Amino acid sequence: MAARGIDEIAELVRGHRIVVCAGSGGVGKTTTAATIALWGALQGRNAIVLTIDPARRLADSLGVGPIGNTPVRVPDTVLETAGSDAGGSLAAMMLDQKGSWDELVERHVPNDDARRRILDNRFYQQLSQSFAGSQEYMAVEQLGELDASGRYDLIVVDTPPTQHALDFLEAPERLLDFLDRKIVKWFVRPSFSAGWSTLRTMNRTVGFLLHKIEDATGVTALADVTDFFSAMSGLFEDFEPRVQRVTELLRDPSTAFLLVAGPDEQVLDQADYLVAQMSARRMPLKGVVMNRVHPHLAMGDGEASFERIRDLVAEQLARLRPASAAAPPARRVKTARRPANLASGAADAPLADRLAQNFVAYQARARGDEVRSEIFRQGLPRSVPLVLVPNLQSDIHDLAGLLQLHPFLFAGTSG
Amino acid sequence: MRPLSFADLLRRRLVFTVGKGGVGRTTVTLGIALEAARRGQRVLVVELEGARGLEAALATQREQVHPPAWLDRIEYMMIDGRKALEEYLGLIVPVRRLLKTVFSSNVYQYFVAAAPGLKELMAVGKLWYEAEQRNPADATGARGEHQLVLVDGPATGHSLQYLRMPRAALEAFPAGLVHREAERVVALLRDPEATGVLVVTLAEEMPTNETFEMVSGLDDLGMHTATLVVNQVHEAPCTRAELDGLPIADVRPIFRSPASRGRGKGAVPDAATLLAEIVARASEEIGWAEINASHVQRLLARIDAPLVRLPYLFNEEFGADEVGRLGAMLAEQLDARSGAEPAPRPRGGKS
Repeated sequence: MAARGIDEIAELVRGHRIVVCAGSGGVGKTTTAATIALWGALQGRNAIVLTIDPARRLADSLGVGPIGNTPVRVPDTVLETAGSDAGGSLAAMMLDQKGSWDELVERHVPNDDARRRILDNRFYQQLSQSFAGSQEYMAVEQLGELDASGRYDLIVVDTPPTQHALDFLEAPERLLDFLDRKIVKWFVRPSFSAGWSTLRTMNRTVGFLLHKIEDATGVTALADVTDFFSAMSGLFEDFEPRVQRVTELLRDPSTAFLLVAGPDEQVLDQADYLVAQMSARRMPLKGVVMNRVHPHLAMGDGEASFERIRDLVAEQLARLRPASAAAPPARRVKTARRPANLASGAADAPLADRLAQNFVAYQARARGDEVRSEIFRQGLPRSVPLVLVPNLQSDIHDLAGLLQLHPFLFAGTSG
Repeated sequence: MRPLSFADLLRRRLVFTVGKGGVGRTTVTLGIALEAARRGQRVLVVELEGARGLEAALATQREQVHPPAWLDRIEYMMIDGRKALEEYLGLIVPVRRLLKTVFSSNVYQYFVAAAPGLKELMAVGKLWYEAEQRNPADATGARGEHQLVLVDGPATGHSLQYLRMPRAALEAFPAGLVHREAERVVALLRDPEATGVLVVTLAEEMPTNETFEMVSGLDDLGMHTATLVVNQVHEAPCTRAELDGLPIADVRPIFRSPASRGRGKGAVPDAATLLAEIVARASEEIGWAEINASHVQRLLARIDAPLVRLPYLFNEEFGADEVGRLGAMLAEQLDARSGAEPAPRPRGGKS
């Protein structure tokens, strides 16, 4: 019999060197990535989590200061506190696109003057902040470097939240298109640098447009562009093999893609799309983590009605609290500024009514979560396990919270 | 100054909803559009290139068995920066054949890809254009003439990138046509009477942090946060003290292997077990309500904008009705705060 999804996620993490957590925004990718890396470290691996935007409180509770552009090692005492003596290590590193571009320039442009020319270039400053996909590209680039360093045997990547969740996967190729060397060369041709007028005589159509653009914009901006490409031309030569290497790394058998989702209609629509795209692109989707699932309590043949639940609770309360059963319901503390329409029931209703109403509402949502998760599972390839993580009563952003998740993600192996 | 009423919001030319991914921006946007349309306001809802959520959610509304007639007041548009640029160039270079040649040329394709923020700039320019076209200056506020342009913005960072572009263009192009047009766009965005920004968030750690970033980003741009919408607010069904001494079930892993499916619905739990589960659900809600309350406090302490709370809905399915309900609640809260007359409730089955 096939192992249950929950054991398979542990297997998946054990069997891969790189785990890429993908998914749309707000589904708990950052937390999932962090908890996986922590689990790996507790199992004795040298783990690092490459994250986008760690909550400061998470960084604090891991005993690291602000997480920056270089790996920060989580003190071993933290792992010991978490109950590990397996000899693993945990580090965290944050992606910062602006810093990374600057770093790239610093590393690849040895000449001081040339480097200044790029870093001070207005076009570059804009590009490094706003070129779509640059953040994704840098994530992939940093991944390649971490892998090449050989210091980690588990690299967990939290992908940037993007409109198109696939930007991350496409970033290397897209950047390659962007830096298409033929066109770059065309830009840095001396005749071009000399001015747009040369070009205008070469191609009247394009020239006409450029003339219009020039009128509209003023020439300085275009000079910036040309200057930028001249300064950067050496750097571009280097990109193609790097992009190639990183693309191969993403398709390597030791890399696993883990889809992080939640049981909401809109999230699952995006997840469906992502799964289809991954398979079309031969990106190895190897597991799905569904966060914040409301567990549904099986109730026999059908769902118990509000009345039945209320009566049952009232009866139990009377049994457990005979003294207070006849007393008037406890007065609730009125919270200031609570809008009337938030009250899901009369605040002074008997406790049994309120508990029953909450439970019945919860069950409805849980039923929906169950159905949506199951339909989603049926759309997955059979080999892809799905694990459902129950909705916990806390917003997870500290060490205790990360540990709290382990039994649900890796049941049977820890806790 | 009188607090913003829902009607005030509808009198804006441009309203953006922004916020972190997954907080329910699209739902809030559509909810506002539905409530606006129900009150007789014409609305153009816009989403930006690449997003499809709003289009799909609007389609769900239209596909209801009995869609209300006022849905026709909602118009949909997707704005694509590249197309907007072509449209714009069409205005300055009015020779169609020439443009076609240009658009298919490598140089042009490259220019569009390479020019930083050009597509974003053009998308915002297009929004400005639509807002101007649909709201002749003399008819602002006149019901029937005015059409609100309501934009379902992308996630925080992306939204700021879009909103920053007109100002970046002002700096990058010190003179010329683009400079002049960017000036007009910036003026519109900065005018709190004309442009409103709704920041949608959840009262949780990360979304709250991102909301602070968003609001300070808007401040830097000289833009005004019209309303803070806190979505999915949980309400405690009881106090912790009321649960004192009652049994409580642990949260267990959810096993649902294919093999366990379809083997009946499971046995009915006995009364004591059931009570423990019921108490666990109540406790979970109390936990979330406490988390929500503490982050609402953080938001109130740092952001000077009206705050609206929308409840977490425990529906089995989040359908067409729920979106409208949330929109109506948002409107009611703004109105209650500003002392505006409540709008008449619709007749019939819609709640």
